[in-house]
Amino acid sequence: MQPEVVVETRNLTKDYRDFWGRRKVRALKALDLEIRRGEIFGLLGPNGSGKTTTIKLLLGLLFPTAGRALVFGRDATEVTKNERIGYLPEESYLYRFLNAEETLDFYGRLFNMPRPVRRQRVADLIEMVGLDWAKRRQLKEYSKGMTRRIGLAQALINDPELIVLDEPTTGLDPIGTREMKDLIIKLREEGKTVLLCSHLLADVQDVCDRIAILYQGELKEMGRVDRLLKVQDITEFRAAGLNAIGQEEVKRAIEQNNGHLVSFGNPTTTLEDLFLKIIRESEEHPGRRIRGVAEKK
Amino acid sequence: MVIDITDVMPLFTWLLGPGWTEGLLFQPLVLAIVILLICGGLFWACRRMRKGDGSTSPGTGLALSIASLALILLILIGTAVLKSAPGKDAAAPFAGLAWLQGLLGAEWHQGALYHWLAAVVCGAAAVYGIAWIFTAIRRGPKLALETTGQAIGDCLLDVARLSPRRVAALAWLAVKESIRRRVVVVFAVFVLLLLFAGWFLDPGSPDPARLYLDFVLTWPSFLLILLVLFLSSMSLPVDIKSRTLHTIVTKPVRASEIVLGRIAGFTAVATFLLLVMALISYVFVARGLDHTHAISAGDLKPLDAAADVPTGFQGRTSEEFKHRHNVIVGQDGSGRVNIEKGHYHELQGDWKELLAKESGGKQFQLGPPRGQLMARVPVYGKIAFRDPLGEPTDKGINVGDEWTYRSYIQGGSLASAIWTFQGVTKERFPNGLPVELMLGVFRTHKGDMAKGVPGSLLVRNPGAPEDVKPVEVRIFESKEFQIDTQTIPLEFQTPEGKKDLFKDFVSDGKIEIWLRCAAPGQYFGVAQADMYLRARNASFAWNFAQGYIGIWLLTLVVISFGVLFSTFLSAPVALLATAGAMFGGLFHDFMYRLAMHQTYGGGPFESFLRILTQDNVTSELQPGLRATVVQTLDQPAELGLWLIASVLPDLSRYQVFANCVASGFHIPGDTILAYACRTFAFVLPLFVAAYLCMKNREVAQQ
Repeated sequence: MQPEVVVETRNLTKDYRDFWGRRKVRALKALDLEIRRGEIFGLLGPNGSGKTTTIKLLLGLLFPTAGRALVFGRDATEVTKNERIGYLPEESYLYRFLNAEETLDFYGRLFNMPRPVRRQRVADLIEMVGLDWAKRRQLKEYSKGMTRRIGLAQALINDPELIVLDEPTTGLDPIGTREMKDLIIKLREEGKTVLLCSHLLADVQDVCDRIAILYQGELKEMGRVDRLLKVQDITEFRAAGLNAIGQEEVKRAIEQNNGHLVSFGNPTTTLEDLFLKIIRESEEHPGRRIRGVAEKK
Repeated sequence: MVIDITDVMPLFTWLLGPGWTEGLLFQPLVLAIVILLICGGLFWACRRMRKGDGSTSPGTGLALSIASLALILLILIGTAVLKSAPGKDAAAPFAGLAWLQGLLGAEWHQGALYHWLAAVVCGAAAVYGIAWIFTAIRRGPKLALETTGQAIGDCLLDVARLSPRRVAALAWLAVKESIRRRVVVVFAVFVLLLLFAGWFLDPGSPDPARLYLDFVLTWPSFLLILLVLFLSSMSLPVDIKSRTLHTIVTKPVRASEIVLGRIAGFTAVATFLLLVMALISYVFVARGLDHTHAISAGDLKPLDAAADVPTGFQGRTSEEFKHRHNVIVGQDGSGRVNIEKGHYHELQGDWKELLAKESGGKQFQLGPPRGQLMARVPVYGKIAFRDPLGEPTDKGINVGDEWTYRSYIQGGSLASAIWTFQGVTKERFPNGLPVELMLGVFRTHKGDMAKGVPGSLLVRNPGAPEDVKPVEVRIFESKEFQIDTQTIPLEFQTPEGKKDLFKDFVSDGKIEIWLRCAAPGQYFGVAQADMYLRARNASFAWNFAQGYIGIWLLTLVVISFGVLFSTFLSAPVALLATAGAMFGGLFHDFMYRLAMHQTYGGGPFESFLRILTQDNVTSELQPGLRATVVQTLDQPAELGLWLIASVLPDLSRYQVFANCVASGFHIPGDTILAYACRTFAFVLPLFVAAYLCMKNREVAQQ
């Protein structure tokens, strides 16, 4: 059975016009895409490709010039669909004269949450994002990372089924980025659907199930990440503890089977993994410089 | 002084027309059943709509559209039929619907409610028609019917699904935002003004109560309106620009809730500030006017110096606030302090003690001022005139005054101003008729400038035959620029013998009081509000509060305009537009007269030409190309002015509250309620317009 379609766009087009109604730019051209329940969907593209426009159309912040956008089977301009959506904008556009508790309480009231439920939810979310120590401070005193975390908390205030994240890792340090990615995966495991919009490809690659790539308002590619990234005509083996004789035998086997050795050598870890490892070990052994892994070996 | 509440109609008569009590719809049982049915139906519909999800289906949209188009056609055809029918008054479009009299009562079409409903329906029909035309051009007529009908249905659903909790949350946000924007500065400015008010408010002025009350009613109004002008017009555009509104719009918040939340929030801020200002103002006025005088036995002299035993004593009190009071004390120990600057005092103690030889130079204090802060309950009558020959005439003489509020009656002749009062009963006026006059005087020669112009009051029974003449009861000297009180006693002597006021001159609760000027060559200027019977005094404190309620109603209108303009204009433009609407409302009467050619000098282009050519405003323009061009250009300008004047509320009328309180007149409850109805009659369409603008606005497009 095909999983339920949470977001669907049909021939979705958006033109930005000037004051006189003349078309200035066609931001989105006949976009057709589907996002299914329980997946993490990445919307990729360079700056100006139409990613944010797509998200704004889905959220009802903009109206389509042509085509339709449906969320939970309803038109994107319908307000009732927002009951099941959480949105983290690119910048956290929050009221800076409110403190964290007031901010989350305010947004909770917009969902008609009863006071006791709201209070508990606010407390849980503040704890989840690790801002219990600063909950009474006004947001204007927060750092960018702290504001981002409160932005995430307000996106989750209603325990939404669909979470829309616009450039969620922008401006975060590697630890924050990792925590964000872990949270995104956790949300999927809870059965939620995540629509993620980013131009940081590495972050998208780590978490997304399916992606769509936009360029100049057009959909260029869409599909599962693993399938799209698979290089069909290259076979990769990974072996541990192979001596030099064994390495030669593998090379000969490749040549004998009409293969062409592309490269061999020791694989590299990612800079993110290295960074996180060093930070973790520093926390375990404070005050001591941790030697590099390569040096240790 | 102009009092604009001489014709106070009971609220329901104003709202529903004079004969509403006879209408079938307003009989108690029928009304109760209709209200129950309507409330029940609305409740059921709201519950159904709240439970459902989604928007209006195309089918329902089509049905709503057809119903709307039918209503528009009905109005258009009905108007055309009424206009074309012979003998019908084109200015009374309701005349053709006389069959509704049985249901709504006689002259129902004079009711304010029906006029408002007609205006709203016509306006809504016009908006719908324009929307349908534009949609039909782009999508074809059938799809246009569905789309516009769906829009109507979605609007109704939005109303039914309005969440008070969300509105309260958004209102709270507006309050917090206002505090962040330092609304307390307004309060601080007001307190500063009060602190320094003593430098320029002179309690020794001729009417200090009016001066103080004018001050405390004008400045809070000015400050508060300035505050809400900025708050209401800049709040939404700033949120849209900073994108904080994005985070709200992506929640299940309706456009109606956003608009209503802003209006409610700013109204709450204004209400709180007004409340505090009112309390402080009341204390300021009461304390500012509070004073006392002293008097001792040495200040008193016998009334009749030659008499062996004085019949009484007279004297003057000490000077306070640039005035003294004259005191008369009878030998029996009864004392009276005269009225100066609109007030008098009572002695704190016994007058006999003052007169006693032992008192010597001991200073006796008079009590606090009385009669200064009051709320007179006037009973106004209908005015009529007689010319110098005693013949009825429409109005008095114009003595050349540009301001034609008053017309004049000639002295030394039979020229009279006649007021007919109703509701005059012995129970209401057990001590005679207290008549208060505020006359204007026009002198053709100086005469005795130290004295007022003599006049007389006469009474006549309106039920008596036409040839029965009025009877003179009082002769007085006019007092300009102040209220003069004359009392017509219950019994008085006439050439025909002793007469009883109520038995001989009142019939069916009506009496005629005639005013004549006795001095040849002098004139009394009168208007309807210049004479009234003073029934009683109402509570000044409550009247003062009503004055502030009037300010609150005005503030509500400004807030509604500000929020409306802020839904589709940028902050500075919205501010200008709101300020423009406000000034347009304040000069509503002038704009209307300009549009209807009731002012001198023509329209804007003609006036500009007259400035350049230095032409007199009262003379006709020289015929020619110039005159033709400017008069042609004036036509669309005057049409535009007429449209604006028709749409904008007449905000200058709200000054009646401050005028009444400052002048010491009670504001009738029905007047307050009528103004409240007028206010909501504007606020409701403004809210609907703001909601439609917000709903159709792309929040993310800047």
